[in-house]
Amino acid sequence: MSVSLEPIVGRYTTFAIKGKQCRVYFEEAGSGIPLVCLHTAGADNRQYRHMMNDPEITSRYRVLAFDMPWHGKSYPPEGWQDTEYKLSTALYVETVMAFCAALELERPVVIGCSIGGRIVLQLGHLHSDKFRALIGVEAADHQQPWYDTSWLHRGDVHGGEVCAALVSGLVAPQSPAVHRHETLWQYMQGGPGIFKGDLYFYRVDSDLRGKLTGIRTDLCPLYLLTGEYDFSCTPEDTLRTADSIPGAAVTVMREVGHFPMSENPVQFRKYLLPVLERIQGK
Amino acid sequence: MTSSPAETGAQLLQRFTQAASTFAKPRPVQVDMLVQFDDLPVLVRIRDGRVAEIVEKGVALQSWDFAVKGTAEGWSKFWLATPPAGWHDLLALNKRRVFTIEGHLHPLMAHLQFIKDLLASPREVAA
Repeated sequence: MSVSLEPIVGRYTTFAIKGKQCRVYFEEAGSGIPLVCLHTAGADNRQYRHMMNDPEITSRYRVLAFDMPWHGKSYPPEGWQDTEYKLSTALYVETVMAFCAALELERPVVIGCSIGGRIVLQLGHLHSDKFRALIGVEAADHQQPWYDTSWLHRGDVHGGEVCAALVSGLVAPQSPAVHRHETLWQYMQGGPGIFKGDLYFYRVDSDLRGKLTGIRTDLCPLYLLTGEYDFSCTPEDTLRTADSIPGAAVTVMREVGHFPMSENPVQFRKYLLPVLERIQGK
Repeated sequence: MTSSPAETGAQLLQRFTQAASTFAKPRPVQVDMLVQFDDLPVLVRIRDGRVAEIVEKGVALQSWDFAVKGTAEGWSKFWLATPPAGWHDLLALNKRRVFTIEGHLHPLMAHLQFIKDLLASPREVAA
């Protein structure tokens, strides 16, 4: 009898973020250029399982996806019970930089989706020399809010259910049912108030309009990929953002929404593989 | 069947009634929802996760928890087998101001996926 195992390996590592020790869970697969993957708000690293199972990617890239503290299998830092989780721009940047340092990754590529796409822009602004390339998926410097986030965390509405139901419309109608519902299940499993805490970063603390002058695409190429069915971070939001960044490359992806790598991995790789090819060739 | 964007409120209501009358999920939903197709309102009573009644007339002075109102074009595109981007979801339509959502929103948000699925139930099946 043969055992069928995926190539993904999960590990824990502990490092300090803003002076607090955090035990962080990450998964990885492949070898080559380090490719760090940032999940969306209120979700976890399972969104990248298809990329980590794709030999066309893992034959050339060491794909690493970590659960942010408070998410997935990463615990909140000690003392969390007396605090309210609120992600800030500074905390998010430090989290990504601390993970890369803890894993001793040398000029990794970073790909981030949604809030991960937003922070990719800030990483480029602050640290273009630290990354080989940046990929923002569903990324924009700002976008219009479309619901009241107070619904996400209150005693008389199930948090997981309402989070999943809100974002369900961000999945494109063409996405396979199995991947649609897997994506939504991740939202149903988030900790109480965590999606809302992530959106503090997204809605309140990271209006980057006019503040991205530090991005050096000559040092660190920036690729922006946005799904046509994303009505949260719309293609127009991404195109407007790219207009302010000389050298940014934009692609609007057909038949995907806000969670391309998770909701429709087959469609997403049509757009991602050429980007990875270009990065590898530089 | 292929939808025409020119469907009238009455035609849209007929499609909705046909699909929604048998809609049920194992969930304790008790809601009175007003749904409006262009200028035609109906009251949808949901009891124990099942559409118990769709009242087409006599809405005046009847109370309801919340209302979802949409243009004929909005409903027609929303129910296409593959709706165009931005016309594919209740909240996408609300964001583009083609639909409006009013009233006491707690029962809507507490059962959001149920309501979304109910309102999408007349959607055509992809060939």
